[in-house]
Amino acid sequence: MIHTDRPALLEGRGLVKHLGGHRVVDGVDLVCREGEVLGLLGPNGAGKTTTLRMLYGFLTPDAGRIAFRGREIAGTMRDAKREIGVCTQDDTFDTDFTVEQNLWVAASYFRPRPAGMRERVADLLDRFELRPFARQTPETLSGGYRRRLMLARAIVHRPRLLFLDEPTTGLDPQARMAVWDLVGNLRAEGLAIVLTTHYMEEAERLSDGVTVLAQGKVVAHGTTASVLGDLVGEHVVVVEVDAATKTDVAGWLSRRGMADPVGVLGAWHVPLRGEELAEFARDFPALRYEVRTPTLDDLFLKLAVRP
Amino acid sequence: MSWLGAAFEWQSRAVLRRHLRVYLRSWHTNFLPPATEPVMMLLAFGLGLGPYVPTVRWHDRDLAYMTFVGPGMIAYATFMTASFQSLYAAFIRMRYQRTWEGQLTTQIELPHVVWDEILWAAFLATTYAAIVSVVLTVCRGLGLLQFDPTRLPLLLPMAFLAGCAFASLGLCFTAVIPTIDHMNLPVFLLILPLGFVSSTYFPLPPAVASTLAWANPLYHLAESYRGVLLGGIVASHLIALAGFIAVMVGVLVPLDMRLLRGRVLGD
Repeated sequence: MIHTDRPALLEGRGLVKHLGGHRVVDGVDLVCREGEVLGLLGPNGAGKTTTLRMLYGFLTPDAGRIAFRGREIAGTMRDAKREIGVCTQDDTFDTDFTVEQNLWVAASYFRPRPAGMRERVADLLDRFELRPFARQTPETLSGGYRRRLMLARAIVHRPRLLFLDEPTTGLDPQARMAVWDLVGNLRAEGLAIVLTTHYMEEAERLSDGVTVLAQGKVVAHGTTASVLGDLVGEHVVVVEVDAATKTDVAGWLSRRGMADPVGVLGAWHVPLRGEELAEFARDFPALRYEVRTPTLDDLFLKLAVRP
Repeated sequence: MSWLGAAFEWQSRAVLRRHLRVYLRSWHTNFLPPATEPVMMLLAFGLGLGPYVPTVRWHDRDLAYMTFVGPGMIAYATFMTASFQSLYAAFIRMRYQRTWEGQLTTQIELPHVVWDEILWAAFLATTYAAIVSVVLTVCRGLGLLQFDPTRLPLLLPMAFLAGCAFASLGLCFTAVIPTIDHMNLPVFLLILPLGFVSSTYFPLPPAVASTLAWANPLYHLAESYRGVLLGGIVASHLIALAGFIAVMVGVLVPLDMRLLRGRVLGD
């Protein structure tokens, strides 16, 4: 649920960024409110990570403004960073230190210094189940536990806003769900989170609202269901196409102004609205097909083939 | 925050403490190269080359070769330590360990990271110069060479400032070199030739000393160390060294920051 009644914690307006001569982010607006989880979605190259990097101060926008708790961060980024935690997509912990030392060292990079650090580190080691590995170096951890360390390190200084850049990419399902639980707990504690993800289930489980980027622009904002409904359709018809059905279905789509759908392993995935699905069923009574709900994959595929 | 002001902020001290902590954890192995290298060099040059070079002419004085080479070894240690730290160690932290990226997600900013690499390289260069100085003092006690040991502390601030200059040069290459294998380019095309044309291990012919070597900050560092420890003409080399340090730090540190902003942040 999107909490429009809560005050905006982070606000980006008209963000523009050029990298390597390309306009990677093109006028992005977004808002993350107190205690809200905002999902930033989009296919590869949509500008998610660049947007995120501008928001947490890694990159300077070419145009636009970013405000944190109502104050523009240009010139006050250092203060804002005291209240921001960042968990990058790649592991960036300090490999010269143990798991426990990583938490201490990360905390030493903030002023005012986090209070009660001994208890804080002990609490994080327990909550993130890192206690058995406290004296090991991060390189010896499995992928799931490395993510836990990255997360614990990102919140060691008790931030109010956490940036998570694809927090579960590359993890096995068990490790992914464990990270979801940890993020869910942080959300329950009232931490505002901006996360990028490729996983529909992750966006649905963790986000109050999503902002969808494509080619550097915001193409939709809302709940995951409403965004998918608006951009993809209510249903996706999966048709095993042969030469004959291909012509018939392509003609049917063409008459309705729709382009040829994305083909995956010999099957066409056709996004349709409710009334279109009824027409499809009426016009192809003998055709075998499957109807499923749309996913982020459908959205990304649709956005990727946009002209 | 000015580019110079970042060097004195708490963020720079926090990262320096981190480097020191990592270093001291394995101090016994880290101290080995600067302590053993001068001993090896003294043995090699003293027992090997020394008998063939009984005296060296330096500023109208005849010096025993070991006496000539001692201050040069301190200068060489200063130069090599600062250069290799800012090339290899900084590159590994930036590229392979991704330590910088982790730090930059906190209140540490890129100017602090750049200054930390420079200050840390200069600190290590000073430490190694001090270790070499201790070894040379022991050798002096054994009668292997002559110099005024009470003047050794004067070398340390010079070593630190020169280390800052050499490290700011090294970081320029770290910022632009694509892989660690490419480090051979600055090492073999610049660092080693600078070490060669510097009067550290052998006196330069007058023609070289009066032309090519004057453009080499290591030459002025070696001659300044020698002048301080042995007594002799030092003012002109000190002035030249101070000029080199001011220009290198004033020009190269902002350049390092600009180049590394592009490399690390993509900005």
